[in-house]
Amino acid sequence: MKRLERAKAGDGRAFDELLAPVLDPAFRLAMTMLNDRGAAEDAVQEAALKAWRNLGRFRPGAELRPWLLAIVANECRTARRGRWWSVMRFADLERLKGGISSDRGWAERMDLDAALDRLPQRHLLALTLYYHLDLPIEEVARVLGCTTAGAKQRVHRALAALRPAMLVEVDA
Amino acid sequence: MTPDERELRRALETRSGEVSPEFRRRLSGTFLEGRPAAKAIPALALVAVIVLSGVSIGILLMARGADRVSHGDVATPPPTPSQIVFPHGSDMSAASGSVLWVYFVQGSLFRSTDRGDTWERRPLPTVQGGGSPQISFVDAQHGWYLVSNSPRPECSGQDINIWHTSDGGATWEPLGAPGVDYAQCKESLSFVDPNHGFLAAWDYSHQPTMYRTADGGSTWQRATLPDPSSYTTPGGGVELHVGVVKRFGSTLLVAAADNQSSEYLFRSIDGGATWTYLAHTNGALARVVFMTASRWLLVQNHSGWSETTDAGKTWHTFPNDYKDAALDPSDFVFGDDSVGYGTAGVAIHRTVDGGSHWTDIKTPGT
Repeated sequence: MKRLERAKAGDGRAFDELLAPVLDPAFRLAMTMLNDRGAAEDAVQEAALKAWRNLGRFRPGAELRPWLLAIVANECRTARRGRWWSVMRFADLERLKGGISSDRGWAERMDLDAALDRLPQRHLLALTLYYHLDLPIEEVARVLGCTTAGAKQRVHRALAALRPAMLVEVDA
Repeated sequence: MTPDERELRRALETRSGEVSPEFRRRLSGTFLEGRPAAKAIPALALVAVIVLSGVSIGILLMARGADRVSHGDVATPPPTPSQIVFPHGSDMSAASGSVLWVYFVQGSLFRSTDRGDTWERRPLPTVQGGGSPQISFVDAQHGWYLVSNSPRPECSGQDINIWHTSDGGATWEPLGAPGVDYAQCKESLSFVDPNHGFLAAWDYSHQPTMYRTADGGSTWQRATLPDPSSYTTPGGGVELHVGVVKRFGSTLLVAAADNQSSEYLFRSIDGGATWTYLAHTNGALARVVFMTASRWLLVQNHSGWSETTDAGKTWHTFPNDYKDAALDPSDFVFGDDSVGYGTAGVAIHRTVDGGSHWTDIKTPGT
């Protein structure tokens, strides 16, 4: 019996083997989205268990990576939607202490790292899939649940939101 | 590759990280335990409750003995704003039009009695928890502090402890959570007066539970939030997260969000014993903020706000100057029908006219 079939039948070792090659990109996605190791581990664990339980819906021949990444992205959205996830970061507050009083003025002086912190989730997800995980744009589209053209547009919009002057082009 | 692209890749890499061997082992171990079937979860939860009840009682007894925090004991050091280390999260509780409390994860509590113009750091009990602590205050003195341990996988269970203060945080009393089951993850502690409060619980396979107390948290009773008419709680995969309860006269209102960013609204007119589904929003990262029993705001980051004055029957555009265009959904809390607060990145904004105009206020600790 193939590994996928064994995993669908409830074989935990088979599912573990199936998951192993895609665990790393799943975790990197969660880390980039949540910027917190504990939260990323929670999100990946929940996503993996959800994937296992719903493995019966996974079509033979389909790619596991985009399917799992979509579940991880959803878990990250849920985590960040919790009311405790109001953004209040130490580095940001240090900037405030530095005498920048208005939110607008502070935003204008932010570097790229801080800009990523403030980027809406959907934009950060698109950039992470394309520029950090280096997925082909077709696979980005599968994770985002849109067409290839739509995925390109999402990446472009994310770049525009991140830094209007950015010169990065989306190849595909 | 352009210099900007290199810079972007570097910035993303900085946020990222590799799977630790410990996590990989823990995850593998979870799979080897066997797949959690939806039908098995109630039985597993029952077994877990029986087994863990004994353990929990022992742990709680030991914790009480170790903490020794009771009426009259001062919990944490006096205010030292310059030494505060700020964490990743915060929680706000607007007790009235003038009193606002802000909690930062890892243990910093602040109180303002002048709508956020000035802040005073207040003590908290020194306790360890693996979840996301939350606060709920009903005035400048009476408040509750929810501390949760790390949940079981799939939120099949989670231990919590609730602390209470009646002197503005000078002293704290551990109440435990009598009547609250181990099953499900806990969230959204909300008190509406010194006696009446609510606590939500959820997992991936059941309808949310709404616990309520009428004695300040000494005992809790459970009720179930019904499935909305357009929604059925599946055996796994989708779940509702219940927010904080607001009370207007004899009417209680609460919103529950699914993981597709829709919110489902519920009302209770019997103190929370039963809940009735009212309406829902359609995604778009919208949040409903209850101002009165009939006036609500639908807050959306990227497509404007809407207002209803007839409890959701009709909606219209609500002009406002809230600066949140580039951020994820904010937290909003209102102390009365005019004064409210919203977080936007590092800033806290305040409105005193029911949400039309917003101004920055001083951030606690800065």
